[in-house]
Amino acid sequence: MSSKNLAYNSLWQRLVRSHAFYAWLLIAPAALFLFTIVGWPLIETVRLSFTNAGLGGEEYIGFYNYEKLFSNRKYPGIVGRTFYWMFLSVSLKMILGLIGALLLNVKLRGRAAFRVLVMPPWIVPMAIGCIGWLWVYNGHFGILAGVLMHLGILDGPFEFLAYRNSAFYSAVITDVWVGTPMVTVFFLAAMQGVSQDLYEAAYVDGASRWYRFRRITIPQIMPVILTMALLSAIWTFNSFEIIWILTEGGPRGATTTMIIDTYKMAIANYKFGYGATRALMVVMLLAIFSLLYLVLLNKVNERFKVK
Amino acid sequence: MNIMKKTQRFTLIGAGLFLLTGLIQVQAQELKFIMCGGEVRAADQKVIDAFKASHPGVKVDMQAVPWGTCQDKSMTLAAAGDPVSLAYMGSRTLKRLGKNNLIVPVTIPEKDQEKYQPGILKTVSSMGKFWGFPHAFSTKALFINCGMIEKAGMQCVGPHTWEGMYQMAKTVKDKLGVAGVGLVAKDFDNTMHQFLNYLYSNGGQVIDPDTNKVTLNSPQTVETLEFYGKLASVAQEGPTAFERSQVKDLFNDEKVAMYIDGPWGGGQHKKTLKTIAVPIPAGPSGNNGTLLITDSIAVFKGTGHEDVAMELARALSSGNAQYELDSSWGLTPIMKYETFIDNPYYVNSSYWKVFVDSIGSGGPEPMFLEYKSVESLMNNMIQGIVMGEGGSAADLVATAAAELEEFK
Repeated sequence: MSSKNLAYNSLWQRLVRSHAFYAWLLIAPAALFLFTIVGWPLIETVRLSFTNAGLGGEEYIGFYNYEKLFSNRKYPGIVGRTFYWMFLSVSLKMILGLIGALLLNVKLRGRAAFRVLVMPPWIVPMAIGCIGWLWVYNGHFGILAGVLMHLGILDGPFEFLAYRNSAFYSAVITDVWVGTPMVTVFFLAAMQGVSQDLYEAAYVDGASRWYRFRRITIPQIMPVILTMALLSAIWTFNSFEIIWILTEGGPRGATTTMIIDTYKMAIANYKFGYGATRALMVVMLLAIFSLLYLVLLNKVNERFKVK
Repeated sequence: MNIMKKTQRFTLIGAGLFLLTGLIQVQAQELKFIMCGGEVRAADQKVIDAFKASHPGVKVDMQAVPWGTCQDKSMTLAAAGDPVSLAYMGSRTLKRLGKNNLIVPVTIPEKDQEKYQPGILKTVSSMGKFWGFPHAFSTKALFINCGMIEKAGMQCVGPHTWEGMYQMAKTVKDKLGVAGVGLVAKDFDNTMHQFLNYLYSNGGQVIDPDTNKVTLNSPQTVETLEFYGKLASVAQEGPTAFERSQVKDLFNDEKVAMYIDGPWGGGQHKKTLKTIAVPIPAGPSGNNGTLLITDSIAVFKGTGHEDVAMELARALSSGNAQYELDSSWGLTPIMKYETFIDNPYYVNSSYWKVFVDSIGSGGPEPMFLEYKSVESLMNNMIQGIVMGEGGSAADLVATAAAELEEFK
């Protein structure tokens, strides 16, 4: 064997035996998988956004799609609506989830049954749940209008999905209904992990219930609250089925969020290139939001001294 | 030994070629057919069975897909380079498919062209060619619940003008406290279709099929939109949450006194209701009109057996086969059957007379390159007047007309 071959073999053996190589070897399948299902579609979306891809093929058109999107006078309204939708829906889910978790954490006979009863909105397939809500919001046959008429609040049928504001807030309510159980369950799990010693010590020192909640429960479950808020924000931002089934983005675009707008452009209108531009806007805005949020998260963690 | 080897080699090559030829032949003879609407009608199945019998080796793989996803499926498959052989779909898709070179133009001989009702072939023509065989056709009429009208103290006679229709609806609303008319304004295709029924009854038009010029911005359209807004005041609560089939449910529950529907409507109403179907009333600038809406069979390009697919499409839409479908399904006659069939189903029928007489004064579904964008624009305009947003009727029409230019 020549000295060149010996040197090569020795280098190869060193590489194979190194920790880094072993680590890369273990990571490789997952990395390849991630690249296939996340990286490649993202690269392809970026490429498509510079084309006029549609039913008849595609041609490179430079930044034309971006110019068109930024000069679209309706688009800023859609972006604003999307953030408002996300802020409102996530806030309600967090507040209701926290209240729900507190109630379910109370030592009570039959507590397990109550905990199970919280789950159906999360367990029921979303499409079926939304169709149920379609009937609830129906002004002529729905239970909501019926009850309100019975109580004398409405003097006739009212179609909740027919008007700008009522359609938007109806969609928010349905989204909160679907999303709250998961938040509740996560908060409940976090609350159960808080040491009872802390509560007992505070109780002995004369701390009130509110004080204990504010100074023990909240700081102790803060990492879970912040993580859930971020996840919920991303899911709500991209929430599609609820709005699509209830209103398809209408009336007059009142419930059109960025993801609905992207779907309408890319899939319903077969403008794959222009749709890809909109999809990238969703990715970029969510990335910026997540980055800002993580910076905030670090600051809050420092404030509450959470590692 | 050499002879043995040569024999083996030739046998293998021969067998390979035989299999390859067989495979190509089988592939060439397998027609994939997407049928929008979720079912294959018995009349169509009969033609397909006869076609298979007369073309040994030809297989027809039928896929019945509901309307909601059907057209998207056919178009996406074609765009992805895996087209079906032929598809039965809305004629409004043809212009875009033709322009993008995804379907092949069809030839309809002059003697066959003469068989069609007036205006039908305009629904499949674009760029000087026919892009599909019209296979289903509907016109619309105003259905009136006579029980409700009489209860409100009126005679059950169809109104001839928009003003008459409005007054009738208003009387029902004032006297019975329920909606006088069913109005649709949901984000849905039949919202635009419903509006076009009124537009064509007022001498209006969306696009000139001959010159491809957008003609929506006209006094006739403004009048029509204003009337649509006026009807909202005597219609059911929240028209923007309703499409046609939902309004039909209200009609069956006696929550609206009249609404516009196709000839199938008569068979979908409760038997206990006393109803009549009358022509859509005329607007101040027009005569009784209707939307002429067709669905067609299109033959896709790039399958390698377009000729066989074309033959099947032609067989399905030929005079007698088409008559079987129209009569069994209860569609407005797509051809002038009285010229070659004795006593067709619509002759001597007062019900069918309403749907057939309006054909001559009807207008086609507008042919645009991007029909979904057009539908969305038109619905936005209609919802604007119903919700009182976006300015006056004239403003809404002007905005929609300007935006339509992009999609023609």
